[in-house]
Amino acid sequence: MSAARPRGLPIAAHLALLVALVFATAFAVTVTIILALPPRPPDVMRSDQIVSDFIDGYRAAARTGRAPRGAGMHWTIHEAAPAIPSLAAAAPVKADIAQRLDIAPDKVALMGEFVRRDTVVFRVQRTHAEHIREMEMHIATDIVREPPVVPPARETPAPTPPPPPRVVVIGPPDAPAPPAPPAPPIVFAPAPPNVILLSGFTLAAELPSGRWLEMRQGRNDEEFGWILRAALIVGATLLVLTALALWFARRLARPIQTFAAAVQAVGVDPKSAAVAEEGPRELRSAAGAVNAMAARLRALVADRTQTLATVAHDMRTPLMRLRLAAENAAPEQRARIAKEVAEMEALIASFIAFARDDSASERRVRLDLAALLQSLVDDEAEAGRDVRLVGGEERLVIMGQPLGLKRLFANLIDNAVKYGARAAITVRREDAAVVIDVVDDGGGVPEDMREAIFKPFVRLHGRHGENVSGAGLGLTAARSIARAHGGDVIVADSPHGALVRVRLPIEEPIKTAG
Amino acid sequence: MIAETLPRVLIVDDDAAIREGLAEVFERSGFAAVCAPNAAAMDKILADQGADLVILDLMMPGEDGLSAARRLAGRGWPPVIMLSALGDDADRIVGLEVGADDYMAKPCNPRELVARARAVLRRARDGDAAATRAEAVRFAGFRLDVARRELTDPDGVLVALSTGEFRLLRAFVERPQRVLTREHLLDLAFANDGEVFDRAVDVQVSRLRKKLERSDQGELIRTVRGEGYLFTAKPTPG
Repeated sequence: MSAARPRGLPIAAHLALLVALVFATAFAVTVTIILALPPRPPDVMRSDQIVSDFIDGYRAAARTGRAPRGAGMHWTIHEAAPAIPSLAAAAPVKADIAQRLDIAPDKVALMGEFVRRDTVVFRVQRTHAEHIREMEMHIATDIVREPPVVPPARETPAPTPPPPPRVVVIGPPDAPAPPAPPAPPIVFAPAPPNVILLSGFTLAAELPSGRWLEMRQGRNDEEFGWILRAALIVGATLLVLTALALWFARRLARPIQTFAAAVQAVGVDPKSAAVAEEGPRELRSAAGAVNAMAARLRALVADRTQTLATVAHDMRTPLMRLRLAAENAAPEQRARIAKEVAEMEALIASFIAFARDDSASERRVRLDLAALLQSLVDDEAEAGRDVRLVGGEERLVIMGQPLGLKRLFANLIDNAVKYGARAAITVRREDAAVVIDVVDDGGGVPEDMREAIFKPFVRLHGRHGENVSGAGLGLTAARSIARAHGGDVIVADSPHGALVRVRLPIEEPIKTAG
Repeated sequence: MIAETLPRVLIVDDDAAIREGLAEVFERSGFAAVCAPNAAAMDKILADQGADLVILDLMMPGEDGLSAARRLAGRGWPPVIMLSALGDDADRIVGLEVGADDYMAKPCNPRELVARARAVLRRARDGDAAATRAEAVRFAGFRLDVARRELTDPDGVLVALSTGEFRLLRAFVERPQRVLTREHLLDLAFANDGEVFDRAVDVQVSRLRKKLERSDQGELIRTVRGEGYLFTAKPTPG
């Protein structure tokens, strides 16, 4: 049965949603933690390096008039002197810059976090020649140069170049330094005495144009790489986990799906295959319960089938005997007996059809409803009854049970010619449905009986109050068949006679070849 | 023996009154009738004397009618009419699917049973035995399920046939590419109704043509002027 899809998301979707939510939250929290961490402090730099970088940038700016880029710094050009508090310990550096750029020292501003020299050791790699020279100097002279406290600003035009740093050798301690050593060793050295160490500094100087060039040590770029890598790793992990979780959720939901399908099949036909007892434990026990129920249903159905067959046999065999006996009677008696027997047989047939309820088990096929109605009308016409079909020239393809639908309309036509003298059937399409009206010219159905007549064994009297043959099961069966097809049967208003309206959902129009 | 010239009908039913009543009706209609109360007795009579037709009850003690009908159909002879207290369409289909040639529900009009018996005998005599027995035949993209009386068109849509249309189509399908006169068709397709005119054949043929017009092979039922009708397609079992 193609019942409407039940509302609600499948279990797999619920699980997937949950997992996705958990992972998204985890990801967000991780990223927040990373981003909320205090930034790594800026690198400590040697003042001589800072000065040389700044002078390069200054010269470039003086030449082009634009802020240079690079050296891992933020460069900006200000119209006026930026407000930079001065750092006492940096005075020599400022003086050095002023001297090298040939500007007044008060045109230079420098601030930053001063780092004590002896807390930082630089890892220095030197060329082989330099190394040898330094070794010789170290051994030959024992001079320890005192750092110039405050170099006279202007009187000394020739600045003392930064002296070679005192080197601590962490290598072969007393190697006489022959030309042998192949690679220059790595050395660690504190900053030279006249070099101060700064971090997080800002350095500015007035350009020849009167504007100011500012160089600021930015946030450590290394950090972004690190955050990016962390985010990528976390993200990739979450993606993999999500994929795994989805797979798992589907795996979990699959037995539930097959379970639902199997239970549905058992509901339609208890003789269908048992529900496989597999999957999670809860599902196994549910499947076991359904199978037990199906077994009981099967026994019940078998009982009922047997009972009905026996009833049919026991009631029809005497009728057949009666019918055969009538063959020896006078012709008019024979006709009367035949009529009574036929009526009796019709009653038995309707009881049995009602009790059997084949509507659940008959297969569904695509069928042309117009042809089906036409064939019924033709059969009725051949039997000498006044039944006409209006419309139905076009094909009306629906999914349905051929025998069930035949029974449905045969019941309605039967009623029509029983309560009236003639029946007219009209067929038309309405949106996604076929509407079939069966109209007779009888007395019609009283307003208050229009629902009641669909109940089993409820019958109307004929137009003149006479009894009408039948068990009162035709409309009941018709409605149950129509509803099994997703449609319905109702009694509608009609100017004269009864109008029974059947509505059946139509299949999408099939593309007709050619 | 006169029985040599009369068609022999074997009536198998566990109810004595029905057996005897039917035998009487058949004998009055020009048959030689033999009776058997169950399937075992039926086998014995078939082995000893043979029969041209078997009327078989469905519900009998011992082997039931369905299984007996299946055995006879497997043997290919004689033709079988099932006579059953189970008269639903579904039961009829089951009976025809096991290979019965016709199926009637109790209680039936005895004379209609005789008429059907004649029709079955005629079909068995002059019809193509294979086609007669086939459960379904295909032609020009259509499929006719003989047991279910269902015609499926080339699009796979079931096109319902009225009883007359079905009989007519079966008559055509069993005698393809042969000119059939109106009288012959009346005989084959309307055996149980004496009040049908030639004109009715034309009406049925035109209805049937309408239902077959989805064929890609043009007109399947051709009118042969002054003679009758010709079924042009070549049916294959399946």
